[in-house]
Amino acid sequence: MVLSCDRIEIDKGVALNLISADKFKSNILSFYFTLPLDRKEVTGNALLPLVLKRGTRKLQTSLKIQRRLEELYGSNLSISVDKKGESQAIRFTIEGPKGSYIGDRKYIIHMIELLKSIIYDPYLENGVFSWQYVEQEKEILKRLIESKINDKREYAIYRCIEEMCKNERFGIYPLGYVEDLKGIDAETLYRHYENILYRAPLEIFYVGEYDRELRNFLIDSFKFSKENLIENPRETVTGNVQTKNMIYEDMDVSQGKLAIGYRTGIPYEDDLYNGLMVASDILGGGPNSKLFRNVREVESLAYYIGTTIYRYKSIMLIDCGIDFDDFEKVIEIIRCQIDAMKNGIFTNEDMDTSKKSIRASMESIHDSAFLIAEYFFSKILTNDNRSLKESIEDIEKVTKEQIMEASNNMNVDTIYFLRHLG
Amino acid sequence: MSIIENKRIEESIYFQQLDSGLNIYFVPKKGYKQKHAIFAADYGSNDNHFVPIGERDPIKVPAGVAHFLEHKLFEDRDMDIFDRFSRLGASVNAYTNFNQTAYLFSTTENFYESLELLVKFVQNPYFTDSNVEKEKGIIEQEIRMYEDSPNWRVYFNCLNGMYLDHPVKIDIAGTVKSIREIDKDILYRCYNTFYSPSNMVLFITGDLSFERIVDVVKKAERKDLPKAVEEIARVYPDEPTKIQKQYIEDRLATSIPLFSIGIKDNKLNMQGNELVKKDLVTNLLLEILFGESSKLYNELYSKGLIDNNFTSYFTGKVDYGHSLVLGQSNEPNRVYDEILKHIKDAKKSSISKEAFQRIKNKNMGGFLIGLNSLNFISNYFVDNYFEDFLFIDLLDILDSIEIEDVENRLVENIDEENMVLSVVKPIH
Repeated sequence: MVLSCDRIEIDKGVALNLISADKFKSNILSFYFTLPLDRKEVTGNALLPLVLKRGTRKLQTSLKIQRRLEELYGSNLSISVDKKGESQAIRFTIEGPKGSYIGDRKYIIHMIELLKSIIYDPYLENGVFSWQYVEQEKEILKRLIESKINDKREYAIYRCIEEMCKNERFGIYPLGYVEDLKGIDAETLYRHYENILYRAPLEIFYVGEYDRELRNFLIDSFKFSKENLIENPRETVTGNVQTKNMIYEDMDVSQGKLAIGYRTGIPYEDDLYNGLMVASDILGGGPNSKLFRNVREVESLAYYIGTTIYRYKSIMLIDCGIDFDDFEKVIEIIRCQIDAMKNGIFTNEDMDTSKKSIRASMESIHDSAFLIAEYFFSKILTNDNRSLKESIEDIEKVTKEQIMEASNNMNVDTIYFLRHLG
Repeated sequence: MSIIENKRIEESIYFQQLDSGLNIYFVPKKGYKQKHAIFAADYGSNDNHFVPIGERDPIKVPAGVAHFLEHKLFEDRDMDIFDRFSRLGASVNAYTNFNQTAYLFSTTENFYESLELLVKFVQNPYFTDSNVEKEKGIIEQEIRMYEDSPNWRVYFNCLNGMYLDHPVKIDIAGTVKSIREIDKDILYRCYNTFYSPSNMVLFITGDLSFERIVDVVKKAERKDLPKAVEEIARVYPDEPTKIQKQYIEDRLATSIPLFSIGIKDNKLNMQGNELVKKDLVTNLLLEILFGESSKLYNELYSKGLIDNNFTSYFTGKVDYGHSLVLGQSNEPNRVYDEILKHIKDAKKSSISKEAFQRIKNKNMGGFLIGLNSLNFISNYFVDNYFEDFLFIDLLDILDSIEIEDVENRLVENIDEENMVLSVVKPIH
């Protein structure tokens, strides 16, 4: 199966992306609104989908929406607010089993209409959102924001990036800030919602089976003319260290969490970015990587250790869970392993293994309707016109010199360590 | 070879038993790029008291042995297992739960070579004093990682509240102290007892040829292992139906109190279709009582007592079972009281036919959507296989459930007497 996407500009600022896939047992429809990641607006953006999920003009409570979803054979509604570089994407998704399995081929229309009404036809009181819903969801969002400390690994990663990018928009937390909630009410949120509806670029994805009739139905359903479109500027990418931080944070934990942020300055538009992907994988991509082998298998210092690259911002992060006392030892091993990468101390087999691993994860996109939509969405965000096959070929072409060059661009910016009090 | 087909969900299972006693199952998934294989033993952290093969008396092993063994099987005399899989382009992993230990890989290329490697490394243990010692540092870090997880803590405290003697209350990975007692002798005794082909299953899914799978496994498997050993003598304590403790409180670095309400099952010793039906009935009941479309959920949500994390599910095997109602709240005790009241009210009235049908629809859709994922299929297969159930027939069992089944389950099992409240509060 070759993945192909039929992209139709159905209105100004609204594109429908149709991807035909017959091997799945369900159909999926996703809406992505893209906005700049902005401290002043991030909290309202995160709150909005929570409030929209509370009720529509026809189904005025979440109870009614939920019951409707259950009637529609357990169609699954999900929302998210993600950071995509220095943009914020608000996503609404509905997924339900194909009509042929449940003997009801027409129900897909109801599924589509339900998602449409949640986004475009919310429950209103006096022309704005329900005051009660907004206040309740503010409380829910407050808890969500505060609960970021519950998962210590995620928390350490988030804190490292926050410190590292404190003067850049990339450091903003995508779910917003508790102190900004008090400035939001039903009226201001509704104005904000209108602004998003009329001005934020919208990408709609349908992955599943469809015919001409359904195609036309989707086009007609989602016509919505936008004006004065909000622009999402390309992130600034720098290889220069911005903060040079060493941050210790104390918490009552039994394991230390180390996160180290690196600037690479290699933008994804650059061919060398492929070299960075391979370099990062050799260094910390999986159980075969240099860090896993040396920190875990040789020294028994950690259970997990790995690298992540943040594509839009060209930042690389290493994170692991270790004993408080092993901090310096682990830092030293990491430094040595990165030096080895810089000096070309890795084998052709390492390169080959990492290329295979990257290829496998790219090819796996084919097997999930949700990932297919995410993949095409990221291609739109990054203006990437390559096919999946071409992207894989670009990885195959990476040379040893490129991996060394990319590794030589890894500059430590911020070291963050979560440790126990005292 | 035999083929079991289910036309309704358009899936089939291929099956063959090898001379060694090993059973191989395969679910073809046309058009999928990924291929998954999982090699699982009917052996989990619960099996800590048993008669080792070739011995006469039962032994008790330290907590965490099954999990330790899972780590150590990746050791080999002359090759690095992780390395070999990576070079083939496959991603290998393993897990241990209360009832099973499973070794799995997924790949988009070199599937048959990877399958050969999977069978070989699981069937050829290589434990030495030094490689066992070396692993303790790694597992200690794994245990500490869980110690810092409020969700894990609230869950295990709840199990401890429900069970008096059953090993399901013991942490799967053991403790930093218990793993220090583990040596290569214990590992070999456990391995030899539980890793015989007849106590294992190999499950594969993807766009593949079953004939070739069988060929590869036949060549790769060990021929010298004892065939069809007699039933392994596992000792389980006589777990009383009553609970240990009604309320357990703990403190950890968390933003808001977490709670887990456990309802201990009192109807055990079921297998196969009967067990799966009980599982489905109980999960339907929990969804009707506590799910997002329930009156209770919406009342508690409106009052700000719960949030979208509020959830419930039932899990159970032959010898244990429990329902859990989980969430986070500033007033967990109040949530608990409201739940008790709601249960009493529900028992007085009957379950609405409309709600019953709706939740059944939801379960059907959820299962169908799940079948898109090779991970879901593999895990679901293995989880049910050792209880004598092939997942392919799930919707037929779901269909057979009547509203009375759900009502009876409510009356029989959901009662304050069987219930435990576990709470983890923030430190400050």
